[in-house]
Amino acid sequence: MSDAIVARTGARIHDDAAPPRRWSPTRVAGTLVLAAWAGLFWFLWLTGREAFYLSTRTDWVVPVAAGLLTAATMGRLASAKVTTPKPIAARELWIMGLMVVPVVLVVFSAPATLGTFSAGKRSAFTGTSVATSASDIGSGELTLVDVAAGETSPDGERALAKRAGEKVDFVGFVSIRDDTPADEFLLARYVVTCCVADATIAEVRVVNVTPGRFSDEDWVRVQGTIFPLGREVIVDASDVTAVERPDHPYLTP
Amino acid sequence: MAQLTAPIRTSGAGRMADRRTVVGVAAMLVAVALLVSVGDLGRIAWVRTFFVIFGSILIQALPFVMLGAFAAALVEVFVPIGVFEKLGALPRPLQLPAAALAGLAFPICECGSVPVARRLMQRGLMPSAAVTFMLAAPVLNPVVIASTYVAFRGRSTLWTMVGGRFLLGMLVAIAVGWVVGNRSKEQLLKPNPEEEHEHMLELGRPEARWRRFFVHLGNDFLFMGRYLLLGATIAAAIQTFLPTSVLTGVAARPVISVLTMMALAAALSLCSESDAFVAASFVQFGPAAQLGFLVFGPMVDLKLVALYAGTFRRGFARTVVLVSAVATFVGALWVGVAFG
Repeated sequence: MSDAIVARTGARIHDDAAPPRRWSPTRVAGTLVLAAWAGLFWFLWLTGREAFYLSTRTDWVVPVAAGLLTAATMGRLASAKVTTPKPIAARELWIMGLMVVPVVLVVFSAPATLGTFSAGKRSAFTGTSVATSASDIGSGELTLVDVAAGETSPDGERALAKRAGEKVDFVGFVSIRDDTPADEFLLARYVVTCCVADATIAEVRVVNVTPGRFSDEDWVRVQGTIFPLGREVIVDASDVTAVERPDHPYLTP
Repeated sequence: MAQLTAPIRTSGAGRMADRRTVVGVAAMLVAVALLVSVGDLGRIAWVRTFFVIFGSILIQALPFVMLGAFAAALVEVFVPIGVFEKLGALPRPLQLPAAALAGLAFPICECGSVPVARRLMQRGLMPSAAVTFMLAAPVLNPVVIASTYVAFRGRSTLWTMVGGRFLLGMLVAIAVGWVVGNRSKEQLLKPNPEEEHEHMLELGRPEARWRRFFVHLGNDFLFMGRYLLLGATIAAAIQTFLPTSVLTGVAARPVISVLTMMALAAALSLCSESDAFVAASFVQFGPAAQLGFLVFGPMVDLKLVALYAGTFRRGFARTVVLVSAVATFVGALWVGVAFG
């Protein structure tokens, strides 16, 4: 008797008639891709590896992306059950798999930065892209960013020239070209504004170093005296020591 | 009433995935992981450089694609149909400039503007206005204006670059919108395969908004992401192997230098929020060539062309490239003559 009455109510009929929801392969696959990318951004943020790809100006995008992608993953998972799921096309599944390849590349490859290979390709940018004013270059501690900026304008070049003979303390990596004399190397550091794609290079010529002591891409600390000579900047080294690669290998202008 | 989720149509993409496909995809990912970790591919200098540049472009761009997809999903789910049609009531000469200036209110870069424009079209905004907005927003937004100012601060060309970028960017975006003209969204947009698979149609009442929001968010991200991946691969390859020293020889030639910088902007595929610093670094090039770089790059680059090709029907990317190139070139040359 009571069953019959309940059966006539709209609510009971709705429940009985609603088809069951099942996992949608398309949405589940999409969820996995989103989860992989969310995982990558968490990985970058927690390990500090974002510093190998982005500047300190833009690294805020990593936790933001991690949060957004996590929310998107959870939301998509929660809506991944549908009443009439359709199978996913093989081609579509392969494309989704390919979308996870960059995640695998970043997570499984050893931490790496731009090195001397790229320095040669970017030589035309040497010492540029830095918007430090001449007054900044003319006072305070000299940095590689100042040195790079000194070559962007005649004013900067003149301001840097006035610092000739001052003591400097730079950290960078060793770059040795075919025509580099044995007792010299180029001390280089990439200047990144947004991401590595916009990297330009700051270089100084370090003279008076022990031949053969350092190899390409060794990270070193150079202390010495600076002598800007037009577009070329020379550092007469008083001490060169090997150092670990910095946590933030790129400079931000 | 019973709630049903029914497909409108299924993809005609051929064979359906089965267990072998899943195993194949998983095996591919494991193989890649082994190759880069055990095989230590990174010890090869060019491979390492490619990985770093490729990774950086994606890590920089994907969050903005996500933000764009987020905004697009909000537009899709929460903005009533017809709201954008009201913009059509504006006098015609004002519609495209209004769409271009709307970019001032959206601090999004070029990767984020594509999904937003696509969604705006689907929600009723005139396609020509949506295209104008898509091209103008990455150039006219406040963050880009500020970064251009900072990059050229202290130089005599500061206001030529900041003002020139703003005005020329707006004019080029309007020119492309004008060429798009009265084409309908059906004539411009490709269907999204993500949405074709299981396009939800609720019988009787719409599905919960939060479900629709997350489905659209994920679909847009996955759709744009695949094309971004393609564009990032090509851009990273060019950045890895192109010696920039080849450019210095043409810097003194007025016409060729503009074309060279425009081509370089397209090849480098930089974010519009940082490209001013790179443009400023080419001190050997004049303001006309630098302006060409700053206006053309956010509208046409390798990753964007891949996004356009995936989002829009055949011919659209060609229209954007051609009209943007001609308008930017003429505008930059004029600026070079007037202020160079």
